[in-house]
Amino acid sequence: MNALTKKKSAGRTLLDWAAVIVLLLSIAVFSIIRGDAFFSVRNATNILVAMSITTIFAIGATVTMAPDGFDMSACTLASFSSYIFASSFLWFGLPLWASALVTILFTMVMYLLTMFLILVCKIPDMLATCSLMFVHQGMGLWWTGGGAVSSGMPTRWGTTPIRAGWTEGFLAIGKSPWCIIIMLLCVLFAFIFLNYTKHGRYLYAMGGNKMAAKLSGINVKKYRFVAGMVTAVFIAVGAMVVCSRNSAAQITGCDNYLMPSLAAVFVGRSVGGAEKPNALGTMIGAALVAVLENGLTMTGVVYYVLPAVKGAVLALALIAAYATKKED
Amino acid sequence: MDKITLGTKNVSIEFPGVKALSNVDFELETGKIHAVMGANGAGKSTLMKVLAGANPTYTGDVLYNGKVVEIRKPADAKALGIQIVYQEVDMALIPSLSVAENVMFNHLVMNMGKKQMVNWAYIRKEAQAVLERLNIQLDVNALVGSLSLAQKQMVLIARAIQSSCNFLILDEPTAPLSDTETTELFRLCKHLIATENLSITFISHRIHEVLQICDSYTVMRNGEIVDNCPITPETTSKEIVDKMLGRSFESSFPARHATIGEKSLVVEHLTERDHKIQDVSFYVRKGEVVGIAGLVGAGKSELCKTLFGALKKSSGTITLNGKELKIRNPSDAVRNRLALVPEERRKEGVLVHETVDFNLSAACLGKFCKLSFVNRAKTAANANHFVESLGIKTPSIFQLVRNLSGGNQQKVVIGKWLSADCDVYIFDEPTKGVDVGAKAEIFKLINAIAEAGNCVIYASCENTEILSVTDRTYVMFDGKIMAELETAKTSEDEIMHYAVGGTEAYVAG
Repeated sequence: MNALTKKKSAGRTLLDWAAVIVLLLSIAVFSIIRGDAFFSVRNATNILVAMSITTIFAIGATVTMAPDGFDMSACTLASFSSYIFASSFLWFGLPLWASALVTILFTMVMYLLTMFLILVCKIPDMLATCSLMFVHQGMGLWWTGGGAVSSGMPTRWGTTPIRAGWTEGFLAIGKSPWCIIIMLLCVLFAFIFLNYTKHGRYLYAMGGNKMAAKLSGINVKKYRFVAGMVTAVFIAVGAMVVCSRNSAAQITGCDNYLMPSLAAVFVGRSVGGAEKPNALGTMIGAALVAVLENGLTMTGVVYYVLPAVKGAVLALALIAAYATKKED
Repeated sequence: MDKITLGTKNVSIEFPGVKALSNVDFELETGKIHAVMGANGAGKSTLMKVLAGANPTYTGDVLYNGKVVEIRKPADAKALGIQIVYQEVDMALIPSLSVAENVMFNHLVMNMGKKQMVNWAYIRKEAQAVLERLNIQLDVNALVGSLSLAQKQMVLIARAIQSSCNFLILDEPTAPLSDTETTELFRLCKHLIATENLSITFISHRIHEVLQICDSYTVMRNGEIVDNCPITPETTSKEIVDKMLGRSFESSFPARHATIGEKSLVVEHLTERDHKIQDVSFYVRKGEVVGIAGLVGAGKSELCKTLFGALKKSSGTITLNGKELKIRNPSDAVRNRLALVPEERRKEGVLVHETVDFNLSAACLGKFCKLSFVNRAKTAANANHFVESLGIKTPSIFQLVRNLSGGNQQKVVIGKWLSADCDVYIFDEPTKGVDVGAKAEIFKLINAIAEAGNCVIYASCENTEILSVTDRTYVMFDGKIMAELETAKTSEDEIMHYAVGGTEAYVAG
């Protein structure tokens, strides 16, 4: 049998750990250049805070992408959810926990529409969610009356909100340590869900070979639905953190997190040779982008070229994943 | 270990228009390796699918230990311990999951019940135990996507054994394997037979392998069992070939009268990059129809595609009329006036969502253009000309090709190349899915193409067609050319002898 077993090549192994190596290297390089200003507990906290929102959305995308799904509308839905979160807290004066619950339920209900288009109408994920992006944007602004939801502003009906302003507890969600704790809980939950429950393994089975999964008796539609609902919860959590961090539900406040979160999933795909979207890899992907942003800003790179760096990281991750593939 | 038997009595299956199986009686017994043989379309796979529960419409009885059982769905077969490993291993495996999960996949899906969490230690331990039972060394944590084809097959066999298994059916298991891998598979089979209460059934085209490993064989032809025999040292491949072919011969083919000129297309030592074809040399003269015979999977399609640049060659030369051709992709091939009528017509041959008119001008649109603007009148004239001369049955040239019958679609593919005015026409299984009438018309067309002084390559696994259409024939086996035969002086037996891997010279009789 030994004649048939082949060793993984050194190059392949290197590529598998490329994201981690680059992450460690950049930490080392920035530490050398900037010393304690970079390599300190305070700055580490900064980086974790900066990456927390992207990571939460990226974890949602990871769960969707495990069964080979895709969601372009995740972050527009998050913007909508953050309007709901802020308005139920300010306009209707609900307690924080109730506002959070309402937001999560609302996001899941909205996600039923996504699932309807994908599973019942059989529209490919990419196209269905592409059209939903606009639906979310339009409906969200209809709800707010065309503006942001913030303290000291009247409701959309022109009445005075029940609650006059934000509370300490509300604002704490988006700050250290809470946003970091929320992020870590999300990663932990997704990690256990995807790796240690049968549901997670079925999702991966569908992502690897949908036909084989179906013929083995897995209800693929049901599990695509499960993945969607879990994703909806992560979207709602992300929306609440964004809302708290900005001290307002800003117009399209979450929309810009879509691309960084997808990038994090792609960077994380190959970490450790997993070859599939996975929770830890996603977090490493998000950390890589955050560390680069933080370090480059500190070394004096102007902020407006940073997107180019993010793009380059994503491109490199995709090159590692695709250019090395054997052609069929 | 008590012996268990599994058999069929009077099993028949009818598909619309064809009797796929008629009154098949057949028996398997644990502790034996049994071969099921037959030419393409003889009904081997259909019979195995009955046993695996994938053909629920059979009539007659399936007997398990002599008692009648109903096998109407795959779960019924699995409950009786019947497991089948299909030839396309990638269909059943999940590349992004580990070996352990793939081996234990049935357990993960079926036996979890109310349990929510996956017990990784148990999955790994069980998978490891199964692999050890099979004496296979594989890392259970490796991803299946990184395995070789042979290893994937082992994983599937392990999955079959992991669930209760008394009857293991392997559909053409050795077709994609190299010699060492085949040896390893045979070792595994012998090991299984020795250690488990198991019967293994091989579906195979390869007589020498069957003689090497099997205890008995069944030959099928046209949906019927020709013979059930034990294999003894006296069994020869010739007697099996005779049984596979029978003595039927149909002749509804037009007479050939092309004048054959000098050598035109010369191929030397052609090897495909992944060794799907190896060191293939042959030539075609002007006005000649050269056959490429061989069974399914012998490398005929691969040869056609390599000539056409759709597969990459690693070495060898292709010369046309004394000039060496540099063909790196199909576009180069078309520029050098090669034409390919591919096997998968709907996928590779025609643009089904386009009109007859567009399809007929697709290969040489430049001819009908002025300053990159298509001259509609010219393409329509071209289309009308070919619809008439090829007898394509279509209400109008603006009909979408997907609305035409298979035979007419094939004529559109041929017409496409005729309007491009090529020198070499390569036909890969052109009569697949075409009815008898249209078949005869296609043969007439091929004759006409040859008579116009072109080179024609005709690849087919239907030996009767090869015998009727071609002037000379090369027989392929395992990516190599085994023999060059003068069609007028050969027979179906001789072609079959080489097509199943016969290396010694053929003796008629």
